[in-house]
Amino acid sequence: MKKVLVLLLLAALSLSLTNCQRGGEPAGGGRQRIALVMKTANNPFFIEMQKGAEEAAKRLNVELVVQAAEREVDVEKQMQIVENLIQTRVAALCVTPSGSREIVPAIDKANKANIPVVIVDTRVDAKALSESGGKVATFIGSDNYEGGKIAGEFLAKKLGGKGKVAVLEGIPGHETGDSRLRGFREALKATPGVEIVASQTANWERDQGFNVFQNILQSHPDVQAVFACSDLMALGAVEAIASAKKTGQITVVGFDATSEARGAITDGKMEASVAQSPAQMGALAVENAVKLLKGEQVNAEFVVPIKLITKENAGQ
Amino acid sequence: MRARGIELRRDFFSHYARQLGTLSGLLGLVLVLWALTPHFLTVSNLLNVAEQAAIIAIVAVGMTFVIITGGIDLSVGSVLAFAGVVMAEALHKDVPLPVALAVALGTGLFCGLVNGALITLGRLPPFIATLGMMSVARGTALMFTEGRPVSGFSGGFRSLATGEVFGIPVSVIIMVGVYVVAHLVLTRTKLGRYTYAIGGNEEAALLSGVNVRVYKAAVYGISGMLSGLAAVILTARLNSAQPIAGMMYELDAIAATVIGGTSLLGGEGTVVGTLIGALIMAVLRNGLNILGVSSFVQQVVIGSVIIAAVLIDMWLKRRAG
Repeated sequence: MKKVLVLLLLAALSLSLTNCQRGGEPAGGGRQRIALVMKTANNPFFIEMQKGAEEAAKRLNVELVVQAAEREVDVEKQMQIVENLIQTRVAALCVTPSGSREIVPAIDKANKANIPVVIVDTRVDAKALSESGGKVATFIGSDNYEGGKIAGEFLAKKLGGKGKVAVLEGIPGHETGDSRLRGFREALKATPGVEIVASQTANWERDQGFNVFQNILQSHPDVQAVFACSDLMALGAVEAIASAKKTGQITVVGFDATSEARGAITDGKMEASVAQSPAQMGALAVENAVKLLKGEQVNAEFVVPIKLITKENAGQ
Repeated sequence: MRARGIELRRDFFSHYARQLGTLSGLLGLVLVLWALTPHFLTVSNLLNVAEQAAIIAIVAVGMTFVIITGGIDLSVGSVLAFAGVVMAEALHKDVPLPVALAVALGTGLFCGLVNGALITLGRLPPFIATLGMMSVARGTALMFTEGRPVSGFSGGFRSLATGEVFGIPVSVIIMVGVYVVAHLVLTRTKLGRYTYAIGGNEEAALLSGVNVRVYKAAVYGISGMLSGLAAVILTARLNSAQPIAGMMYELDAIAATVIGGTSLLGGEGTVVGTLIGALIMAVLRNGLNILGVSSFVQQVVIGSVIIAAVLIDMWLKRRAG
């Protein structure tokens, strides 16, 4: 039994060495293979992004591999996915970093394997990248800071320049949420009458958005508006407001403009959401990866425009 | 005691025989993946898999000790995060590397010993004590860092994960070292014998003069300390210590341990089996990534493999027993 197993292993190993030699040819009938590594595959934002990327891949006749960790913040799992894709010799790698600094070692590994890296949605920490000497071909995303600012300006105007606001933050230390928050706070500085009375994290989760906002309602029953750094958390807050029988009395502004949030806006349960066009990001990521593979020059950065979705344009 | 020692030794032999089942599972998996994709069975990918297995494999050694005593340690992932951020802060204060490593291992050891004290002196069930520590260590790590990752370290420190000796990643060498030492401790020392004895029959161990409290607490201390060691490797690998690192690692470590044939009832198990278990998990994740399987399907496959592995193991044991 043991001997047979050892023999099998040896046979497999010796064959693998021949595999080493013949590897490298593009799989999938000669089509080039591009990978998109997302933070997670179970968040509407990333589902949209995947759709956009898949359509572009079909249009440009390239093979697209989409992979994601089970949990959005699992930087180690994302690193493993990138390492494993490098082993399969993908031609180009598009990544939405789970951690703006923690992604850098993975970028270094792709660089070493001569695989061009396209960063999508979340910026890589510039300092960490320059320290490691890593190279990113292009960044595709929208300005989260600007998005937060738009939300803040809208809310201040909606409240007539005076009122109490609560904030549901994303996971602390997460570049995306932090910039949205910075933009939002910056916008409110212009209207000192609007005061942030509570600012708590709900870790990007809908159920936590519900619980945390319910708690905020206990401590600040007079809160007039809430800004959530993502629609999932905003929708959690909408439920908390409904269970407190305060629907319509509290202005909810979210971020991402997911289809469910658009529905809530149409129904008047939510006031607005900042739209980021993840599908366009996914498509641009694939398009630029293809350009890079053809040896064409690409811009160092593509800013996908941001707009505010309100009742007027929620159906579009 | 001597008679018991001999009996235990005979048990070990039958364990090795049983491990052939787990080992052939691993080899079968390797063969299937080798048949499906040319990218799997290459030297560089196998080293890649070993590197990816190292962190969970090291945590799982501590878990194996704990589970052999009939306990469980749910706090390993949180302790890893806590030890990681404490060490990272120390590194940012420019302490010498050996001191920083001692800080990581010491923080883990401390948390583990608190678990041990709660279980032995406080008479809490291990599940409850370590569930509490899971939350306390996580919260402390978040408080300590205000929720933000601590990142950017010297090349010297990072080489603990990124360095290579004769082409083999340092993290893999550390993992192998941990397994060799753990195997020797478990099979050749008093601590090892008592670990089995406590899990086999705590009352009997107590009556035969084993200081159950001390040895039990030591086992939880070992588990904490190895979480600290895993924190060193994870931090060096990502160039960042995150207070939210290591979530769900306890489940991966438990899975590796039970796939490796350790019984949750205590009294039996080997670290060799656990290593094979950790490798099965890593090979599976790596293979599914390489094959481009969706992350949803991956979870189903991994869960099914855990169930199948334990089912087969139990079936073999029934046949052998």
